[in-house]
Formats: sequence, C-alpha cells, structure tokens
Amino acid sequence: MSRREGSLEDPQTDSSISSLPHLEAKIHQTHSLARLLTKYAEQLLQEYVQHQGDPFGLPGFSPPRLPVAGLSAPAPGHAGLPAPERLRLDAAALAALPPLLDVVRRRQAELNPRAPRLLRRLEDAARQARALGAAVEAVLAALGAETRGPRPEPAAAAAAAAAAAGVFLAKVLGLRVCGLYRDWVSRTEADLGQLVPGCPA
Amino acid sequence: MDFTLCLTQRSRMVDSKRMRMTSNFQWPLLTFILLYLMSQVNSQKKGAPHDLKCITNNLQVWDCSWKAPSGAGHGTFYEVCIENGSYSCYPSEKTNIKIPALSPGDHEVVISPLRDFGSSISKFILSEKNVSLIPDTPEILNLSADFPTSTLHLKWSDRGSVLPRHSNVIWEIKILRKKNMEIVKSVTHNTTLNGKDTVHHWSWTSDMPLECATHYVGIRCYVDDTHFSGHKEWSDWSQLKNISWSPDSQTKVFPQDKVILVGSDVIVCCVTRDNVSSAQIGLTKCPLIHLDGKNVAIKIHNISVSASSGTNVVFTTEDNIYGTVLFAGYPPDIPQKLNCETYDLKEIVCSWNPGRPTALVGPRVTSYTLFESFSGKNVRFKRTEASTNESHQLFFQMLPNQEIYNFTLNAHNPLGQSESMILVNITEKVYPHSPTSVKVKDVNSTAVTLSWRLPGNFAKIKFLCQIEINKTNSIQELRNVTIKGVENSSYLVAVDKLNPYTIYTFRIRCSTETFWKWSKWSNEKQYLTTEAIPSKGPDTWREWSSDGKNLIIYWKPLPVNEANGKILSYNVSCSSDEETQSLSEIPDPQHKAELQLDKNDYIISVVAKNSVGSSPPSKIASMEIPNDDLKIEQAVGMGNGIPLTWNYDPNMTCDYVIKWCNSSRSEPCLMDWKKVPSNSTATVIESDQFRPGVRYHFFLYGCRNQGYQLLRSIIGYIEELAPIVAPNFTVEDTSADSILVKWEDIPVEELRGFLRGYLFYFEKGERDTSKMRSLESGRSDVKVKNITDISQKTLRIADLQGKTSYHLVLRAYTDGGMGPEKSMFVVTKENSVGLIIAILIPVAVAIIVGVVTSILCYRKREWIKETFYPDIPNPENCKALQFQKSVCQGNSTLKTLEMNPCTPNSVEVLETRSIVPKIEDTEIISPVAEHLEDSSDAEPENHVVVSYCPPVIEEEIANPGLDEGGGTSQVIYIDIQSMYQPQAKPEEEQENDAVGGAGYKPQMHLPVTSTVEDLAADDDLEKTAGYRPQANVNTWNLVSPDSPRSTDSNSEIVSFGSPCSINSRQFLIPPKDEDSPKSNGGGWSFTNFFQNKPND
Repeated sequence: MSRREGSLEDPQTDSSISSLPHLEAKIHQTHSLARLLTKYAEQLLQEYVQHQGDPFGLPGFSPPRLPVAGLSAPAPGHAGLPAPERLRLDAAALAALPPLLDVVRRRQAELNPRAPRLLRRLEDAARQARALGAAVEAVLAALGAETRGPRPEPAAAAAAAAAAAGVFLAKVLGLRVCGLYRDWVSRTEADLGQLVPGCPA
Repeated sequence: MDFTLCLTQRSRMVDSKRMRMTSNFQWPLLTFILLYLMSQVNSQKKGAPHDLKCITNNLQVWDCSWKAPSGAGHGTFYEVCIENGSYSCYPSEKTNIKIPALSPGDHEVVISPLRDFGSSISKFILSEKNVSLIPDTPEILNLSADFPTSTLHLKWSDRGSVLPRHSNVIWEIKILRKKNMEIVKSVTHNTTLNGKDTVHHWSWTSDMPLECATHYVGIRCYVDDTHFSGHKEWSDWSQLKNISWSPDSQTKVFPQDKVILVGSDVIVCCVTRDNVSSAQIGLTKCPLIHLDGKNVAIKIHNISVSASSGTNVVFTTEDNIYGTVLFAGYPPDIPQKLNCETYDLKEIVCSWNPGRPTALVGPRVTSYTLFESFSGKNVRFKRTEASTNESHQLFFQMLPNQEIYNFTLNAHNPLGQSESMILVNITEKVYPHSPTSVKVKDVNSTAVTLSWRLPGNFAKIKFLCQIEINKTNSIQELRNVTIKGVENSSYLVAVDKLNPYTIYTFRIRCSTETFWKWSKWSNEKQYLTTEAIPSKGPDTWREWSSDGKNLIIYWKPLPVNEANGKILSYNVSCSSDEETQSLSEIPDPQHKAELQLDKNDYIISVVAKNSVGSSPPSKIASMEIPNDDLKIEQAVGMGNGIPLTWNYDPNMTCDYVIKWCNSSRSEPCLMDWKKVPSNSTATVIESDQFRPGVRYHFFLYGCRNQGYQLLRSIIGYIEELAPIVAPNFTVEDTSADSILVKWEDIPVEELRGFLRGYLFYFEKGERDTSKMRSLESGRSDVKVKNITDISQKTLRIADLQGKTSYHLVLRAYTDGGMGPEKSMFVVTKENSVGLIIAILIPVAVAIIVGVVTSILCYRKREWIKETFYPDIPNPENCKALQFQKSVCQGNSTLKTLEMNPCTPNSVEVLETRSIVPKIEDTEIISPVAEHLEDSSDAEPENHVVVSYCPPVIEEEIANPGLDEGGGTSQVIYIDIQSMYQPQAKPEEEQENDAVGGAGYKPQMHLPVTSTVEDLAADDDLEKTAGYRPQANVNTWNLVSPDSPRSTDSNSEIVSFGSPCSINSRQFLIPPKDEDSPKSNGGGWSFTNFFQNKPND
C-alpha cells in the first residue's frame, strides 16, 4: 500500500512521458489505487460512524447534508461529461478533501482520543486523497488535457468554522466529509475504469 | 414647603416636650385623660374624621391618613394636634399628614376639621405599634443573562440610606418563565442594611437553557427591624424584568456541548420555527415539552455517563435534523497515592493515580496543577490521552537549599475540582537510579575494587549500597556498604574475602541511608579473580598392580576452591629410606602414575602446580598391613548412597579410606575412594557413578603410621533390582510320580541384587493350554515352592501323577523384585503295573462272563433254539425257484436271472430239510418276505406263499437276446446281506444303510475292503444313480467277521460272500473255496454258533 502510494505521490515526474503503453499503465495503476481507496473509504465511513454514538449509524438516521464550501457531491450528470472533464472534477474534489479530512481528524482527536484506528484512517485518508488526486492529474496530463493549477482551499476554513459551531455539527460535518470522500473516490474509480481497456465502465 | 418647615419646627418642639414629659409625667393623671378622650372619640364617631392609619417606609416619618367625616366638603381643612410631650398642631388640606416618628408610647392625636361646623373633632391615641413598616418597592437595577451557563444575574440597590439604623432585609426574588408567567423559582435573599445604598447581586442558574424561553424576574423586600414594634409588611413587587434570546433564522438546540454530572437531570430545547416531530437522546425517544411558539424541550432524567464523543440529543423536524451533544461525566476524583520523590536530588517527581475516571476527554479532560506552597511555584500537567488508570507524573525542579516541600495537587475539570497534598523532606525520598558503568579492578587474588556511576547530586547524603556476589555453584552473598554521596556521581568500594581464580558476578543497588527505596539492580558484571598457589595437595591413593611389581598412584583433581588456579601439572615422588623416585611435570589431565617399586615401604608424595606455585605435598604410605580376619559382607544403599559403619579403632591414627569398584571388573579395579577422618565411625558413600542393580565392591582401609590395613570388604548395591533373567533349569530325572529339576546360578550382572531365593511353580497342563495362564495368579491348582536356600540347586517334585504333563516354572527373586520366569513342560512316566492291572481285570471279567454264558447257553440250547430259532423251511426246496447250478456257475457273464414275464402266483413251500443244502438263509428279510411272514401269521404252518413278479431288467447285457426279451421287466433286489448280519441293527439304521431308497437298490455295499471303500467313496454318486454292475467280482472280498473291521462300530454294513439276487434266491457267485472260513456259511454269528452246535 505504502509503496503504491509512494509511487503515485509524485506522478508529475512521469507526466512528460506520453507513450501509449505508459499511459495505459498509469491509468491502470491509478484505477487500481482508486479501487483500493474506495474500499478504504468505505471502511473509514463505517469506523467514523461507529465512534460518534447513537443515533449515528442507525439505518433511519440521515442527518442534514451540510453544504461544504468548495466541495460538492458528484453531480448526477457527472457521468455524461467527457472523460477529461470528469477527471478534472475528480482531481479538484480530491484536492479539496485533504484539508477537510484534517479538520475532521483534529476534531475527532478531541472527541475520540482513544480511537487511534479512526484517527489513523482519517490521517491516511487525507494522504491518500492527495495522492489519488495527484495521480489523476498525472493521467490528465498524460492524456494531454489541461489541468487546473493549484487552487485555494476554502473548504478547510469553512469546515473549521462549521466544526467550531458545535460538537454535533462537527460530527455531522465529519460524516459528510467522509461520505464525500467515499463518493469522490468511488466516482474517480468509475471514471478511470472507463479509460482502462477491457474494464467495465 | 411651608408645611414642611412648620412640621419640622413642631417636631422639634415635640421632641423637647417629649423629653420633659418623660421626666415629669404623672401616670394617674394620664390614665384619666386617656379614658376621657376615648369616651369623647366614641361619642363623636359620626361626623368626625375616623380610621386613622399610619405607615412608615423609613422609620423616621409616619404617614398618617384618616377618613374624612361624612358630608365633609372638598375644601375641608384639618388641624392635627398631637400630644407628644408638648402639644403640636399641624394644618392639613388633605386627609393625611406626615409626621415625624413619635416616641414610644401612646400619643393623643386630635384631628379637627376647620371651617366645617357640622363636624366634630376626633381624638386618637397613636403609638408605634399602630404603625406599619412597609419598605419602598425595590427596583431592579440590572438583569443580565449568561446564556452558555444558563445563568441570570440580578442587580438591585437596597436603599439602605433611607433607614436610620442597621436592619436585616429579606429579599424575595421570583423567576417566571414563558409568556404565561409560570413561576419556576422563588427564593429569599437576606442582607443587612448599613445606612448606605448598597447594590446587591444575585445569580441563578436555570435548569432550562435561557435560550429556550423568556425568563422574568421580580423582587420585593421585607425590613426586619428588631427595634420597630409596629407591624412589618413586605414591599410591593418590583416591576418584572425579562431576559429573552433573539433567535436568528437558524434552528438551534440548547444547551450546546454542555458538560453535566452523571445522574443529573437536564432540559434540552430546540428553538425553531418548524414543527418538531420527535426528539431522542441516543436511541431513546423523549416526550416533547412545548414552549412558546414552536419551541420544544425534552427533560432527561438521571443521565448516564457519556461515551468519549458525548451523548447525542437529536430533534427531528419535517425536513431536517438538529442536535446537540451532552457530555455526562464526573468531577475529578481526589488524586490518589500522591507521592513525590527524587532520583537525583535535582528534580522531584510527583506521581499519582487519577482515581475514578471522569469519562471526559479532549478539552474536558481533567487538568492538574502541582503547587508548592513554600516557594509559590507550580507546574501544570500536560494533558495526555493515555489510559485512564495510568499513573500520572509531574516533574518539579528542586530549589536550592530547600529540602521540605509542601505540594498541593489540584485537579480540575468542567464539573469540579479536587486536590491532594503532600509534605515531603526530599532528602528522605531518594529513589536512586540504577547504578551504571560497573567496573571491577584487581587488588589481589582475593580482593577487587568495584566502581560505578550513580547520576545525581548526592553530596549531602549517604548511600547504603548492596553488592551481590555470585559464584558458580555457590550461594549468593550480599554485602552492605555505606558510601558518602558525591557530586560527580562516581563511587568506588573494595570487595575482599574472595577466592582466587574464581569467576564472580557482581551487581549493585543503592538506597539512601535513611531508607526509602532500593534502586534497581545494576547490570551484572562478571570477573575472574587472579590465581594463587593451590591451598592443598591432591587427595591421593595407591594400589599395587596385580603382579605386585608396580605401585599405581592415583590422585584426584583439586577442587576449584583449593586449586586456586588452573592446575598445570603434578609432581609425584616416592621415597623410602633407601631411595627416592620421582615423576615430574605430569600434565594435569593425568591423575595417575605408575612406579616400579619393590615391596619396601615408601612414602608417596603428590604436589599440584599452577602458574603461581606448588601446593603442599599430599603424602600416603605404600604399605598394606595384612588382615587375615576378613569376611565379605553385604550392604544395600539407601537413596543415593551406601552407608558404611565400623567400630572405632584407636590404632587408626590417620584416616580411613573407603575405595570401591564395580565388582564385575577385574582387579585391581578402582572407581573412586573417599577419605574419612580417623575419629569417624560411619560414612555414606555417594557417587554419581553408582547405578541401581550394579554390584559394587567396597573396601574399608584403616590408616596406621606404617600404612593401610584392609578392615572390611563389602559388596553392595546402591539399589537392588529384580533379576533380568530366569534361572536356567533342566529336568534331570522323571518318574511316574516325580520330577527332579536342576538349575544353574544366575550371573551377577544379571542378578542385579542379592539373590534371596527361587520360586518354583508347577501344575498339570499341556503346553498349549497352561502356557496361556499365569502361574502367579494364586490359583489353587498351582503349587508353589519357595526355595529360600539359595545354595540349593535341585528340587524333586513328588506325588505326581503318572503319564501326566506338568507345567514347571522357575524364577529367581531378589529384594528388588521377582525375575522373569522360565517354564518347561514335562510328562511323567507311565505307571506300568497299574496299566497291566487295568487291562487284565476287564479281560478276566469278560472271559468269565463269556464262559459262564456259554455254559448256560449250552445247557439250555434246546430251549433257546426252540424259543428263538425254530426251524424254518428252506426256500431252496422250492422246485419252482430252483435253478440249475450251471447257470450260475457256468456263465459268469450272466448276472441276472432271465425270466419270462408271468403273472403272479402262489407257491407253497414245503419243508424238505433233507434236500436243502446247508445255507443259513433263515433271515431273509425283504419286503416280499415280510409280507410272507405277515401272511404266515394266519397260517402258522410252514407254508410260505411267495408272490412273485418278474421284474424288468434295465441293464446292458452282453446277450442281445436277453436284452430284447427284457422288455419292461424289472428286477427287484433284496438285501441278502442282512441274512448274514452278525448283530442286530436298529431298524432305522438299516433304512439309512439302504442307499438308493426307492430307486435302484444296491445288492450290497461294495466297500468291503479299504480299497473298495476308497473306490466306493469316489464313485458314490455314480453308483447310487443307476444300475450297479455285479460283475466286478474281483473287487469282492470276503471279510472275516472277527476282523477288526467287523467290530468297528463305525464300519459300514459288511456283507459276506457273494452277492446274490433275491430273484434267484441264490448267491450269484457261489463260494469257490468251501474250506475257506470266509466262505464257510457266512462267518461268525450267534445263529451259526447255535446251529453248528448240533453238528458238534
């Protein structure tokens, strides 16, 4: 896991290579990472819910989907967009997620200081989202699509403000962020899957 | 204004007059006047001012009012005259007047309406008791709210300057909630007036968050002046002030993130503009309490401890969920086991146990502050999220020149605080670190120096240190040393009384002299002390070789504590008066030397050498003093050794030596020896080489000046075992009633103990049966002989039965147990005399019986014959059945009688004895014959009617003509054999013998001889299936009736002579040799016996 992440954390170094086999390998590799992270994201969500107390995690409990500034859920029409556009959206979302996950981790460190696995998963998730986002950017570059430059991170400030409002809101926000993380990683996996030869979309 | 001035002047007058009155008043006169006035008042009640009432709010001015007389006009003036020592009058346009407070006592008050002629004056008696003290209505200066804590803060002034003297004031404060003003709290608050206006504060924490509903506060007071004798009343309620929260557009739940005590009740509300459908805490739904507007609340009773992330309270509206988190926990427990000590007198470590977990973490976790009161310094505990029960520690830097520290540990969390204190003299609470850098240095072979480091500034104290000294195979030793503490942390001590050339393991721990705690042990340090000269010479023994020419000198390696180093070599020397021989530098592993010496007396000296020097010589004399009175004794060991004892012998001037060897080894053998002081009379010989079941030979030598004398010779076992082999035994002699058994000794190696005897078992039994059974099972049929005389090597077993198989078992035993068994089967010889007698007696009896029977039968033969064997006609006399002899004799191939078919007829047979040849066919038994016999019952004469039906012969016959003429004729064979049956057989046996049943009936049983029997057996089926040829006459063999076969009960039916056809009533093969007993009349039978008798 760590080796794969390590190889993907600095994908820009390979972006200049545009040979087709290399592109396919990169897509395949990024897709594999996304698939793995999808599984981890699901585990993170479960772990998160488990530590927030009832009624979090109960089947009928659906807290309000707090708006997170700078990050929205994958739109319904996402699948209809061209592949580069989809990947651009994926990369943008993945870039916005790490600071949000960090805010959630900090708040959870206060609420659940004796839940090291949850805290480790949150920390890993931020790192993994960053790595996957960079890998997607590398794929975009290899595809010849325009990649957006570094963007501000308003989400973090917004999340921090929301978290400061109260513990309950912070819990809900954390749940929302974990859900968004899962959704975007899953979306990225699906989008990359369409680019992988022989892989069902 | 004028009134006021006037009132003031009159008041002064009243005061001066009151003073005078109090001094000059005459009580009887006053009483009279009072009664008079009262009567006047009563008489003028109507049409006069009445209902005089006085109140005061400051005890200085009385506000008196009255009711105007009926009919009094609007512009009525009054003059109020008060007798208060003097008589003061006050005009008034109203029906009230404020007058200065009157002195205690009754005062006459006269109220006269002016310019109202219809009215009369009124007189009242007024005293302080008739005055009511009603304070002014208080005013709330300020009402504020601390919403996060749901606390109201009330501020008001007591207006203490109004009242002339100090008084207690009771304030009543009421809290009202919601728009319908539900009183939720009413409290009283006591203050004291001090003559100044004082602002008071009062706070109240609401159980319901203040955001949930509007809260109103009102206040009133009651002046409790102890000197005022009038009626005291509550003031009016102040104007209500309220606190309300201005909600923004967002729905919110209150309280937010509140920390509450476990078990308390809490109200949570939702301030919303939407309809709340439900509320729940965790999983539990709660009933809604409706507040103003659409706000709702729930009340949680006895809340349980929260999880780490708090307890969620959630309100659900139609389209959203709102919530808050409560943290139910405990206030900090009193820090337990607070202890402060130092490792190095530089830093104090205070540790404690937090006690009961608070269930609060993160920002709500308990914080600790350690405060030192003498220095005024404190340190705070850095929050950790370690496990709750883990001991906490705080480090406090020691202060110069301060030994006594008074620590207070304060624990604080949102629910409360607690503290724990400890006063320590830190020099008595030193828990040193583990000593490090332990080093050992030589002083000499028995002393070393130990040095180590103990970090810390211990210049002012002394250490008590323990040095643990471990030596291989030795008990560990602890030595205590006291050392003065130093600043540079280096310590050094000398350790003496060690052994040379010994590996020691040292380790150290220290505490202060005023003991508090031992430090942990330092790491072990191993050290080998230097060598010293061996302290003793080796233990020496000598043996003469078997030929007596050489003296073999043995010595034992020196033990480590005597060798004092590595033994490099030995020097051996033998000296006598005449000569000295020596062997030098015998290398260490060798512990034996051989010197060729004559039998002179020598003194042998052995010296061990190591790198430092030589040991003192070990000497031993070579001479052996003979001892003629020597017996070999036995001994058995106990446990691991063999005890030996001997009598004290004053002649033994040096020591005793016990040497031993394995008895199976050849001489000279020496396993080991042991020297015992000369004053000893017993010892236990122990050796790791001893093995159970092995015989050892021990020799006890006594030492005299000249040499050693063998005193005792002992064989023994460290432990006896059972023999591993059985004695080898043989049967030496066997008779009809006895067996002589002889066995051999068991070799010593296999005996494994002192032989105590043999056990001999015997019983009747064959090899295959008794072998399976154990003879030791205590069966009654097993006889046992215990042979305890171990010199006995034979045993005769008598009283046995002749020609009987006996099972013999022999086993040896020692005190260690029974050895294995060896068994044998022996058959005793036959008893010939008895056998002879057993044979002869039955034979003689049989002969006698036979003779007697014969005599009797002979004498009664006529009667017997008439009775049992009357004469019967001979069928051969029947002409019709007579055949030519030539037919049977001439043509051997003709086997059957050829007859033409004929109808059955009757033949009368007449007895013609003279014609009939002598053929004993009187016992013809056939179906036909039986039938005839049955018929003869009706005709008792000797007339026999034979029904004859020629049968059809189904056989291949050489004569075709006969074959043709055969047609369907049948031959019936009748068992002629039965005529010669020597013994009567049961009927059923006869039937069984009639093989073939209803079909073909053989004329005889062919297996007459063994050869024929075999053939018959082979062709049995074949022969019973069809016609049986009669022509194989060669196989026929006449058997003598007295042959063994004839008497064999199992033998088959035997026929004599030739088979014959019953059709012909003749033997088909007539006897050729009439002289032969085989053919003579069919052999031996009772009938023959009787029939032949007359001829005799």
